[in-house]
Amino acid sequence: MTQVTLENVSKSFNETVVISDFNLAIENKEFVVLVGPSGCGKTTTLRMIAGLEQASGGVIRFGERDVTGLRPGKRNCAMVFQNYALYPHMTVAQNITYGMRVRGAPEAEVKEALANAARILDLEPYLDRLPKKLSGGQRQRVAIGRALVRKPDVYLFDEPLSNLDAKLRIEMRVEIRDLHRRLGTTIVYVTHDQVEAMTMADRVVVMNEGRIEQAADPITLYREPANLFVAGFIGAPSMNFLPGAISQGTFTGADGCSFPIPPQRLASGTDCAKAVCGVRPEHILAEASGPAKVKQKVKVVEPLGPHTLQVGMVGDVQFTAQVPAARKVSPDDVVELGLDLDELHFFDAATGKVLPKGS
Amino acid sequence: MRIGSAAQFGPVARGFVIGGVLAWAFVTLFPFYWTFVTSFKNLRIIVGGPTYFPFIDFQPSVHGWVELFTGVRGNMFKNLANSTIVGVSAAVVATLFGTMAAYALARYRFRVPLLAGLAFAVIAIGGYVALTELGMGRFGAISLAFAVALATSIVLGNLKLPGPLLGNEDIIFWFISQRMFPPIVSAFALFLLYSEFGKAGFKMTDTYLGLTLCYVAFSLPIVVWLMRDFFEALPPEVEEAAIVDDVPVWRIFLQIVLPMVMPGLAATFMITLAFVWNEYLFALFLTNTQWQTLPILVASQISQRGDEWWALSTAALTAIVPMMLVVWLLGRLMRSGLMLGSIK
Ligand SMILES: Nc1ncnc2c1ncn2[C@@H]1O[C@H](COP(=O)(O)OP(=O)(O)OP(=O)(O)O)[C@@H](O)[C@H]1O
Ligand SMILES: [Mg+2]
Repeated sequence: MTQVTLENVSKSFNETVVISDFNLAIENKEFVVLVGPSGCGKTTTLRMIAGLEQASGGVIRFGERDVTGLRPGKRNCAMVFQNYALYPHMTVAQNITYGMRVRGAPEAEVKEALANAARILDLEPYLDRLPKKLSGGQRQRVAIGRALVRKPDVYLFDEPLSNLDAKLRIEMRVEIRDLHRRLGTTIVYVTHDQVEAMTMADRVVVMNEGRIEQAADPITLYREPANLFVAGFIGAPSMNFLPGAISQGTFTGADGCSFPIPPQRLASGTDCAKAVCGVRPEHILAEASGPAKVKQKVKVVEPLGPHTLQVGMVGDVQFTAQVPAARKVSPDDVVELGLDLDELHFFDAATGKVLPKGS
Repeated sequence: MRIGSAAQFGPVARGFVIGGVLAWAFVTLFPFYWTFVTSFKNLRIIVGGPTYFPFIDFQPSVHGWVELFTGVRGNMFKNLANSTIVGVSAAVVATLFGTMAAYALARYRFRVPLLAGLAFAVIAIGGYVALTELGMGRFGAISLAFAVALATSIVLGNLKLPGPLLGNEDIIFWFISQRMFPPIVSAFALFLLYSEFGKAGFKMTDTYLGLTLCYVAFSLPIVVWLMRDFFEALPPEVEEAAIVDDVPVWRIFLQIVLPMVMPGLAATFMITLAFVWNEYLFALFLTNTQWQTLPILVASQISQRGDEWWALSTAALTAIVPMMLVVWLLGRLMRSGLMLGSIK
């Protein structure tokens, strides 16, 4: 039951800076998800928390305890690795209880913990099997079971679901979420899948190139992205970006569109010669009635059932629109699309940062 | 993993494959068969031209085996016992220490200043020369110089010295380099060294300790080299999972890592044992009566009374059969696939 604090943590591997000036305070019992593209330093951050990697600079604290130089075994974390890392020569039961037995826990306690973990994770029928006789999802649960019996202060999960098929992944997502609710232990969870991040986290930390781009709850990330990276990374399909300029409260797009910006979306008096207007595909209006309109040349139509995605170009940029399933559009059509003025985001193209909003 | 079966080839290709395998089996098995039948021949049959099938084209006799077991041509039982004792001890000790060294080299990063290594060489050799010049006995001089050199280089190794640093790869190369020159080079040196030990009161030639130590020293590089590859092939996460779980290093090594490399360990032990079992040169130099090994006995069959092929054959078979038994016993340990299920 600890909060984990990372203060100005950095990490370099032989001169290559992988993490720089990383600051994050994880609350007690919080479910924090680190998300970001491949190679952005998620695993490295997790390994530094576990102590498997020594931070090159900065301080890591568990509660008041400075653990920066402490060896992994003394930190009381439990880690679930991206590739499970089960002990191949031990049965499921032995895999789960090995750590407890090494620490000399009394037999009754070991038995109880094993029974408990097996029940929670639905592993009872497999306790005497070797890992090679298990399916991917079962192996995954054994790895989680091994972490469970540790009764750690912090759980660390490194992309635990990346090797599972889509259906199992959704099931395990719910199970891990449920587990967190029942155990009430701090969890730091790494994934590169933004859907996983959004659905599981209390707070999502979006990382890019070893830095935190934004750390906030999923809804804030979705509604108030702090910069272009987060805006493009969170949400599927991705947000559309229209280049243009802002002057005197009016956005003029490179493709020729022009409309007044509602005051609550942009602080008054904000001018920007190189701006970007962001709009999510789901915020395209069914009827192109308002002042904000763009002309899209459709290239691909993707019917998804509940709605249809219309992928094409607006000016020189790619633009995806989510339209009602009933709409009949075919490739090479040029259609007019309305933008929901209340859902527009405006960024400074030079810095990538969101422009200040009005009240 | 099975890549395919012979069935996926066409009939002609299959014929070639099977023919090739049979031909190779003949090449490898025929000498063994020939040795076996020769051990049942006597002088008359052997000089009478080639015969291949006992009872059909020659009448077998067991006199070769009787001679072997009654000790007419050297005490076979004693040499067999010597070979077994020395072979197993050397293989066990070399595999044990070599495996630990290999694990350290695979999982920990070492940085040794080149200067520390040079200091060792300079102090050991220079010290020996200087001390003998000063009139000290050779044994005392070499012991003292060696001890001082070792202590100095350990201390220096932990200091920040200028100059290049040697890493794990250099250490491995240094190990392997000990096997790059012909063994005869060190056989002479070792014989002289052991003689000096003997003069100082520690009998090393023709002793269990002397022979075993020599074999351990010569097997270690191979063990370290082979085992390091096996360790490096293991996914580090399995050990890291145990580290995070606060499992002490020695338990990780014994209870997690060793079981995972069991096939490699068995193969390495086998190779080491076979090397010691078959070794001839060092045994020739370092033993005479007490600790003679089987290869010496086999070779000695040639010189005594002309070429007595049945005697040579029985001795050779005595040397081969125990090794075959060991291969058969350890073979099941060498099966791969032990890592299955650990990752992904
Ligand atoms: N031991 C190492 N030595 C050198 N560079 C490393 C080492 N470990 C990681 N890196 C580098 O650090 C960067 C971040 O790696 P990390 O494994 O943390 O990425 P990640 O965010 O977990 O990516 P993925 O989603 O692909 O798992 C990468 O560019 C990687 O090449
Ligand atoms: Mg990773």
